[in-house]
Amino acid sequence: MGACVLAMNDLKTAAPESTLPFLTATGIWKSFGGAQALKGVSLDLRPGEVHGLVGANGAGKSTLIKVLAGLVQPDRGEIQLGGKPIVIDTPHKATANGMSFIHQDVALVPSMTVLQNIMLGSPKKTRFGLVDWAAIARDVAPLAKRLGIRASLDAKVMTLSTAESWMVSICRALVHKARLIVMDEPTASLSVGECERLFGIIEDLSRSGVAIVYVSHRLDEVLRLCDRVTVLRDGSSIANFDRAGLSQQVLVEAIVGHREQVGTEIVRRVPAGQPVLSISNLTRQPKVRGISFSLHRGEVLGIGGLVGAGRSELVKLIYGADRVDTGSMTIDGQPFAPRNSTQAYRAGIGLVPEERRSEGLLLTKSIAFNLSLANLCSLTLSSFLPMMSSRKRNAMSLATVAELAIKTASIHAPVGRLSGGNQQKVVIGRWLRRGPRILILDEPTRGVDIGARAEIHRLIRKLAENGMAVLVISSEPDELPDLCDRVLVMAEGKVVTELAGDGISRAAIVAASYVGQAA
Amino acid sequence: MTDIVLSNRRLSPQAKRALSLFARYATIIGLAGMLIAFSLLSPKAFPTLGNFTNVINQASLAMIIAGGLTMAVIVGELDLSIGFAASLHGVFVTGLVVRHGLPIPAAIVVILLMGALIGLVNGLIVTKAKVNSVIATLGVGTILTGLAFAYSAGVPIVAGVPEAFLQLSLGRWLFGIPNNIVIMVAVLASLWLLVEKSAIGQEIQAVGGNPAAARLAGINVDRIKILGFILSGVCAALTGTLLASRLGSGTTSAADSYLLTAFAAVFLGSATLRDGEFHIIGTFVGALIIAFAFNGLNIFGAPTYSQYILQGAILIIAVGLSSMGRQMAEN
Repeated sequence: MGACVLAMNDLKTAAPESTLPFLTATGIWKSFGGAQALKGVSLDLRPGEVHGLVGANGAGKSTLIKVLAGLVQPDRGEIQLGGKPIVIDTPHKATANGMSFIHQDVALVPSMTVLQNIMLGSPKKTRFGLVDWAAIARDVAPLAKRLGIRASLDAKVMTLSTAESWMVSICRALVHKARLIVMDEPTASLSVGECERLFGIIEDLSRSGVAIVYVSHRLDEVLRLCDRVTVLRDGSSIANFDRAGLSQQVLVEAIVGHREQVGTEIVRRVPAGQPVLSISNLTRQPKVRGISFSLHRGEVLGIGGLVGAGRSELVKLIYGADRVDTGSMTIDGQPFAPRNSTQAYRAGIGLVPEERRSEGLLLTKSIAFNLSLANLCSLTLSSFLPMMSSRKRNAMSLATVAELAIKTASIHAPVGRLSGGNQQKVVIGRWLRRGPRILILDEPTRGVDIGARAEIHRLIRKLAENGMAVLVISSEPDELPDLCDRVLVMAEGKVVTELAGDGISRAAIVAASYVGQAA
Repeated sequence: MTDIVLSNRRLSPQAKRALSLFARYATIIGLAGMLIAFSLLSPKAFPTLGNFTNVINQASLAMIIAGGLTMAVIVGELDLSIGFAASLHGVFVTGLVVRHGLPIPAAIVVILLMGALIGLVNGLIVTKAKVNSVIATLGVGTILTGLAFAYSAGVPIVAGVPEAFLQLSLGRWLFGIPNNIVIMVAVLASLWLLVEKSAIGQEIQAVGGNPAAARLAGINVDRIKILGFILSGVCAALTGTLLASRLGSGTTSAADSYLLTAFAAVFLGSATLRDGEFHIIGTFVGALIIAFAFNGLNIFGAPTYSQYILQGAILIIAVGLSSMGRQMAEN
C-alpha cells in the first residue's frame, strides 16, 4: 500500500491498475440550523479517475466538498483514506493528506507573483531559514511548462487571465503532491479555447494517477471528461453512473428527479413604441467602444458574447458605477447621465448583479431584511413618520416569498442559508416590489439549478409582459434563446450583431461572438 | 480512537446552540456575576441606590460618546477623533460662555453644530478622498487637539464659569434624576429608534453589512457613512460639553481617555445578545460593565495603575468576544 501511494506521487508513473479507492466517504450527514444539507451521502474516488459530481443547487455538492476539505464537520458518517478511517478536522489536514481544492473564485493572492502563490504555505528553505527562490523556480518551471503556463513565474497573479489563474492553482496542487484535486465549476469563466486546454490537462493528470472530482453544471463537459458520475439530489447521493451508455437526458432526469423539458418555447414579441432607454455611441475605454442600442417597454433584450467582451463594463456605465468617456443615454427621451448608482436607482433602474453573494445580499441578515432594501420608502408607518412598519414588511416579504416560490421555513431566516437559486430569487424579489421601469440582470442563472433556472426565466418573461423593460446579460449561449425578444452580441467592446425573432439561436450567438472577436 | 477525536472536534447541535447562547449572554452573565460578587464583598458600600445612581451618572458621559461611536462602527468605519473632539468641545463651550459671554443654550447649540461639522469633515475625508477611517480620524483628532491648545494655550478655563453652566451636568431637573442620566437615556433611545426602527436605520445596517450590495440596492452609501460620522461627532460634542460642566472648567485633553472606554463598550456590546453585530443596547450594557468594574476597583481601593490594566484587558476581551460572535454567525 505504502509503495502504491509513493508511486502515485510520481506524476510520470502510469496510473496503477488498482481500483482500490483513494478516498471513500460513507453515510455523511450534515445539518445547518434546521436545514438538512446532507442526508447520508456516499462517494468513493479511485486513483486516476475523473469523477463528475453533479446536482441541482442546494443538492449538497458544496457542503460535501467542504466536508472533504475540512471546512465543515459532518454530524455523522465516516471518511476513509486509503482504507484507513480519517477525521479531516482542519483544511491543513486535508492538504497534508494529498487533497487539493480549487474553488470557483480561485483563491490566490493577486498582489503576489505566480511563484509566491504556488509556494504559499510550503516555502522551501535554505540552511539559514530563508526562502530559497532559486531552487523553487528550478523545481516549478518544468511543471509550469507542462501545464502550459505562459506567464512568467515572476508575474503578479492579478495580471493573469482567469484561465491562467486556474493553471496556477493546479500547479500549486501538484507542487503539494496532491493525489486528489477537486475542481468546482472550473469552466464557469473560461473561453472555449481555455476550456480545451484545461480538459487536456485534466486528462493528463488523470493518466498520471491523480484523482479528480469535477463539479459542474455543464453536463456536456461532464459527459466528455468523467469516468464516473455521482448525482446528488436533496442531500443524498441518488445515482452513480459509469461513463458507458450515459447520456445527457439520463443525467438531467437523475438531477431533476422527473422528466423536465429542457428549453421552453417562448413567443417573441416585436418591440414597439418609444424606447425607454436609448443609448448612443457610449464609450469608456478600453472595454466599451461606441455602443448604441435602444430598449423598449415590455421587451427582454439579451446581450451575449464571450467573457471579457465588455458587457459587465457596459452595465456599470448604465448603472452609474463608472463614468462615461463619450456618448449619451436617455430615459424616456430625457438625458440620463448618472454620477452614481443612487441616481440610476432614482431614475428607475434596478440591477441584479453578477456576484449575488458579495454584491447582492447581506448573507447574515434575514430574507425580509434583504427583500425590503430597495423598498424602504413604501414600508414605513406613514410618509410623515419614516419608521419601519414590521406589519407591512412581513406582509410584503410573505407575498414575495409565495409569489417567487422561495423555499424557506421563515422570512426571518438568514438569507445565507438558502440555496443559490433561492438567493437569486430574493435579489430579484427586491426589485419586483419596487417595479423599476428598467431591470438589468447580469448572469441571472449562473450557478443556479435547472429547476430554479426555468422559474427565474418565467419570472423575467412575466416582468416584461407587465411592462418592464428588461436587459439580460449572459455568457451562456443556451440562456438567451430561451428568454429574449432580441439579442445583441458584443465582442471587443462593440455590438457586432443584432438578432431577432427566428434568427435568435445558440449557433448564431456563438458564431457572432467569435466572428466579432476575430475582427 | 476515532471516536475520542470525534467527541472533541464535532460538537453536537445542542452543544453548539449552548455555546452560541453562552456567547450572546456572556457579557450579561459577567455583569450580573460582577454585581453579585461586589455586593457580597462590600455589602455596605456597593449595593446601594446611591452608589448605583452615582455609577450610572458617572458612566452617562461615556455612554453618550460610545453611542455615537456605535453609529460610526455600524456603518463600517472607525472614529478615533471622538475623545480629542470632546476635549476640544469642552474647551470651546467654556470659552464661548466665559470669554465671549454667549448665553448657555446658544453656546450648546454652537458646540453641537461644531460636532456635526467635525463629523461631516471626517465623513467627507473617508468617503470622498478615500482615506482609511483610522488614519483620517486620527489625523483630524490630532488637529483638534492642536486647536484646543491654540485656543486655551493649555491653561484650563476655570475663572468665571457661571453656576448655571455647572448645573447642566450636576442638576437634577427631572423628578430628581441626574441630568446626565436623563440626557444619556434620551440620546441612546433616539439612536436605538433610528437604527432599529427607522427606514434610514435599515440603510445604516445594510451599509455596514455589505456596502456593495447596499450600493446596488440604490442606497447612497457615502451619505449614510457621513451620517454615521456626524452622529458620532454630535455625541462627542455633547459628552465634551457635559464633562466641562461637571468639571467646571474647559481643560485640554480632559476627555481624551473616553476614546478607549467608548471602544471597549462598543465591542463588548457587539458580543452582547447578538453575534458580533454592533448595536445600541449592547453598547449600553458594555459601558455599564466597564463602569461597575471601575467602581468596584475604587471601592476596594485598588491603585490607579490597575485601572489602565483593566481598561486594556477589557478592550482586548471585548474585541475577542465580538469576533467570536461574528464567526458563529457565519457558520
